[in-house]
Amino acid sequence: MNEFFIRSLDASTIFTIAAIGELIGQRSGVINVGVEGVMLFGATLGFITAQVTGSYLLGFLVGIAIGALLGLLHGFFSVTLGGDQVVSGMGIWIMGFGLTTYIGNPYTGPLGMDRIPTFLGVSPFFYVGVALVVITWFVLSKTSLGLQIRSVGENPSVAEVSGVNVSRTRYWCSITGGMLMGFAGAVYALNYNPVWNYNFLMGWGFIALALVFFSMWNPFIMLAGSLLFGTLWQLSLNPQLVLPGLFSRYVWRTVPFAITLIVLFSMSMKWFRTRWGAAKPEALGLPYVKE
Amino acid sequence: MLLDEIKRGDTVLEAQGITKRFPGVVANDKIDFEINAGEVHAILGENGAGKTTLMNILFGLYQPDEGELIVGGKAVKFKSPLDAIDLGIGMVHQHRKLVPAHTVIENIILGHPRAGTILNLKRAEEEITALSRKYGFKIDLRAKVWQISEGEKQLVEILKALYRGAKVLILDEPTSALTPIETEVLMESIKTMSNEDLAIVPFITHKLPIVLAISDRVTVLRRGKVVNRIKTSEATERSLAREMVGREVIFRVERKKVERGQPILEIENLSALSDKGVTAVDKMSFTIHEGEIFGIAGISGNGQRELVEVIAGLRKELEGKVTLDGRDITQASSLERWQAGIGYIPADRIDVGSIGEFSLIENLMMNYYFDEEFSRGGTLDYRKMRELTNEIIEEFSVATPGPETTAKSLSGGNLQKVILGRVLSRKPRLVIADLPSQGLDVGATEFVRNKLMEAKQEKAGVLLISEDLDEILSMSDWVAPVYEGVIMGILPGEAAKREDVGALMAGLELGGGAS
Repeated sequence: MNEFFIRSLDASTIFTIAAIGELIGQRSGVINVGVEGVMLFGATLGFITAQVTGSYLLGFLVGIAIGALLGLLHGFFSVTLGGDQVVSGMGIWIMGFGLTTYIGNPYTGPLGMDRIPTFLGVSPFFYVGVALVVITWFVLSKTSLGLQIRSVGENPSVAEVSGVNVSRTRYWCSITGGMLMGFAGAVYALNYNPVWNYNFLMGWGFIALALVFFSMWNPFIMLAGSLLFGTLWQLSLNPQLVLPGLFSRYVWRTVPFAITLIVLFSMSMKWFRTRWGAAKPEALGLPYVKE
Repeated sequence: MLLDEIKRGDTVLEAQGITKRFPGVVANDKIDFEINAGEVHAILGENGAGKTTLMNILFGLYQPDEGELIVGGKAVKFKSPLDAIDLGIGMVHQHRKLVPAHTVIENIILGHPRAGTILNLKRAEEEITALSRKYGFKIDLRAKVWQISEGEKQLVEILKALYRGAKVLILDEPTSALTPIETEVLMESIKTMSNEDLAIVPFITHKLPIVLAISDRVTVLRRGKVVNRIKTSEATERSLAREMVGREVIFRVERKKVERGQPILEIENLSALSDKGVTAVDKMSFTIHEGEIFGIAGISGNGQRELVEVIAGLRKELEGKVTLDGRDITQASSLERWQAGIGYIPADRIDVGSIGEFSLIENLMMNYYFDEEFSRGGTLDYRKMRELTNEIIEEFSVATPGPETTAKSLSGGNLQKVILGRVLSRKPRLVIADLPSQGLDVGATEFVRNKLMEAKQEKAGVLLISEDLDEILSMSDWVAPVYEGVIMGILPGEAAKREDVGALMAGLELGGGAS
């Protein structure tokens, strides 16, 4: 049972880090639906680097770097070119799926390195994740930078006349978000499940995306949501722990995704928008064109 | 900062020979202009007179092709609005530049250099409170902007500019979205600010009484040139209007007496929801007869839009009944309503009233395609449509190269004339005129009002929605002020008092049993 909780926390950590990256971008008005793609890149390149060099540190750094690069790419499409952010994000996902399958294929199999030691019984990344949540909350709600980011996400033209550089803010949020997603992918491949296989992320990026909507763009609700989904995921792997014999485990595996679907669907319904719409960044997904 | 040691009466901002050309037009032609500390200097002009261009040059959004800006005695060049802000020029936009989801304080300190890395909201609150006390503003700094009224939002914008150290305040159409009572408050604030040695430059299109009430001097622009600059005490409403338009303008449309006929439109106990799902129209009941103009007075957002959409069949009612000529049309489609004799002039002439890429002929067809006469077995008769378009262009004096011109290339006034022509040429039983003169210059406004008056004389009923008290009071046979979806009273047009209508629009009850 203790093992179950530790594994749940480990899974939650990955959701948390990826979702906080997505949340930062969204608060500035940039939605990146390609979280899964960025994570796949971070996971695969981080895995390969660590295996080749034997250094975990380099593995994580490469994961973060490729995330930054993809964040920059997404920023270029959605800020400089003013394109449709959903299309760009989908492109990143498909590219991630295809390219990592191609690049990673020769490395199929276990990482073969010593496990990263735990700290007080839990993976050290759990503490990193919680710290990121607190830092993000503090920056967004207590600092001048956070006010600028939120204003850019709510109403870019207001921010512009108040002296905020809208493009630069959105670029940096997209890049920072990408770095965190790439890092989350690396944590998955180097710590949670250090065995490379094509598409071994199995849709975790989409759960992270749904979590941001679920959280009403609040980092703490997002953390709570991550813990919930992490537990659900673990439950879907070992349903016999709670309800032995009920349903096949393949049915249980669909549960987190079914909930994701329900969350995303209800967020897009009219009744939800009219009741909770105030929390959503007004300019989310909208390119900013100067007058 | 150049303007820190300015004394009362010193010239703070000066424009010398400002010229700005756009392809095909000279928007500003050698404009000279100066403003002193402690002065209110109004800039008056119709749409297209070059006001917006001049304003954007003063605020650093455009750079002039020729001429110079002088701030506090030094020639300056603005690369962006930030340069203007740094030199003490503040701008209050007509379309509010505030983030609705943020608090008043957050909006004021956004982008402020002294906001600090970690926001010191306490210090900011103290400073802003002191500032608003100095000028007599009453604002809850911790409220979210979406919760406060239009008038308060404007004060927030003014505070934002002042907090950034503005010594010159540019106000773009400052009273356009305010109730009469809020307008009073604003005028009071402007006086206080000018007494405190701020220089204030309101840009105004048509509210001449405001200009007379608040300004010390007026500069009148016409076609990009300064036509006159005088002390306000030497000007009258009539003289200003003449200079602005270039000819004599009749202010009041003559209210024609028409005998009241049969009831045309009957609204009974009508309620409807807004897009956000809250009650926008709250149990309204009224009747419009033949030869009557029924004026709904109120600031936009008090349910007028929803009411009009329900009558036009564009929005589902929650409860209640709409009757046209004795026939219940509550469930009828829009098309059935047009065929039954409703004509609709939407408030938004660009997005709802017309299709920009379509020619005038095609735009007119939008109200005619369903007629046998113009569509035989589904095939449109372009020849007939062109004839009709030409007739309308003639009758409604639309300035256009021809019927094939696209709607988006027309000016606001001309586009409104086309829409008016499209509706009135059908000889409708009921005309819904939603903000028919909004954003139009004096000349076009006069034209629109006269045409509506003609429709009334031809026994149509007119439902007039307006924010402009002058328009409502001078045209309507009945005046119904609305506040938050409720009709606050129905007053006879000739006897209605301005103060009463203003108070009812602001949601106040009339005291002393006056009604």
